[in-house]
Amino acid sequence: MTVATDLEPLHRRILDRRRTSHDPEPYRAALISEATDMLAGFFASEVPGATVSGVRRVGGGASKEQFIFTLTDGGHSEAYLLRMDPRLAITATDRQREYDLLTAMNGVVPVPETAWIDPRAEHFPQPAAIMRVVRGVTKPSNSKVKVSGLGTWLGPDFRDRLKGQFLDHLVAIHAYDWRARPVPGFDVPDADPKQAARWIFNYWRELMEIDQGVQRPIESLAQQWLAANLPDTTDMVMIHGDYRTGNYLFDEDTCEITALLDWELARIGDFHEDLAWVLMRLFGTFDESGLFRASDLFEREEFIAAYQARSGRTVDRTVLHFYEVLSSWKCYIICAANALAAARSQHNHQDVLLTFLAGAAPVFADDLVNLLGHGAGQ
Amino acid sequence: MTPTVDERLASLIRSLSQVVLPHLPPEASLAQEQVHLALGRLHILRAQLDAAPAFEAEEAQDAAQHSRDLLTLGGPGAAPLADAVAAAADQDVREQVRTIHAGIDRYIRAAWSGGEPAHRAAVSKLVVAYEHDRVQKDRQWCAPFGFDSL
Repeated sequence: MTVATDLEPLHRRILDRRRTSHDPEPYRAALISEATDMLAGFFASEVPGATVSGVRRVGGGASKEQFIFTLTDGGHSEAYLLRMDPRLAITATDRQREYDLLTAMNGVVPVPETAWIDPRAEHFPQPAAIMRVVRGVTKPSNSKVKVSGLGTWLGPDFRDRLKGQFLDHLVAIHAYDWRARPVPGFDVPDADPKQAARWIFNYWRELMEIDQGVQRPIESLAQQWLAANLPDTTDMVMIHGDYRTGNYLFDEDTCEITALLDWELARIGDFHEDLAWVLMRLFGTFDESGLFRASDLFEREEFIAAYQARSGRTVDRTVLHFYEVLSSWKCYIICAANALAAARSQHNHQDVLLTFLAGAAPVFADDLVNLLGHGAGQ
Repeated sequence: MTPTVDERLASLIRSLSQVVLPHLPPEASLAQEQVHLALGRLHILRAQLDAAPAFEAEEAQDAAQHSRDLLTLGGPGAAPLADAVAAAADQDVREQVRTIHAGIDRYIRAAWSGGEPAHRAAVSKLVVAYEHDRVQKDRQWCAPFGFDSL
């Protein structure tokens, strides 16, 4: 077992939970009737007299079990989304933390409005949160099906109308005043200038070890290179952690972004971390003219220049390079460690999808080869 | 072999696509999604079945050759890597790759924890050069998954 490393306290608890998760019972996706019973039981104590109807599963994700349902109380009906962990997810995260951040971000950027939470699985079999349903789609209706929204193609019309909002919301997240309005569960990596980078590196390094990820030389090299090149963080911001096309909803008629989704990897850290994630090759597409577009929105330099102009921040290319290596390394671990571990454990309901995602690992290994081809011996 | 593996896979594909899928109700979205994914995987398995042993054997050969190339550099992790290569010789090809990659991982860690900067640079250059070629083979192999823009 790895000796105690410098980690954000919540991440320490998540990793300890994952390390000791040895429930022998295979996990099975909830039936609609079971989800209905769970919700009825929950609301019997939370909203006595309310009734649950129209429960249906929401597909498309690679991580959570999600159900849309209608809650009727006193003649008023409203649609909600139940978001529940499987026993072992592809990404190890915390529902309470995501819920608290969504609550804090309400009014800052468009987010689903939080309603209820069961963080310790007292009513549901696993930790769960309930939010109001937001209208919108994650990809154009005529778009091809893409696993987990990776490489979603928006096309020129949507692209032109979404890119400004996409950038504005990212800048707004980074401008969130977490000192004046601290969010419960979010610790600040300010013990020394390298702690922000060290926390996230240690978290993923230990996940790779716990999940017994598939080793290959470029991953081993990346791990040592990252440890030796942790950058200082001088401007700490709230970062989303998974900011990309596929993780927001937009209205196809008005082209308005109606909600930013999937905040479970958010933390306080370096804004370059979000920029590097946006620029990941697998989250982008090649447009009609063969030009690479990050999240099918921006050319690389266009994105960096636009972010600098709108945020007033200066992008440090050395720090950005570090976080691009980190992003590719994290994605490799998600595919070659976390996804396979969740499938092997039988503690997830999407084994076929998880082992399918492992097929993306060579793309991230190739990114590491290209990134580490420059100055890897440092 | 009767029935052949290909015939068995083909019958699974037919069963899922022509019997199971049409009978799933529209509201069974997760089940439909899973069947589509399973079908996709079965098609890929069927297409790669004959080539898999040669691919895995080449992967093991490449890993062993890369280890021998690293060992020419010497350094603090050389002895354990040599042991790993020797241990892998008696293993099946999949286990060989795991054993050698674990040995290379220890070798790279040792280079960073106790090696000179010049040694680290030499190790890095060799690893990047090896993976530059090896990754292309893996990308080609995984291209049918649809993630890659090859």
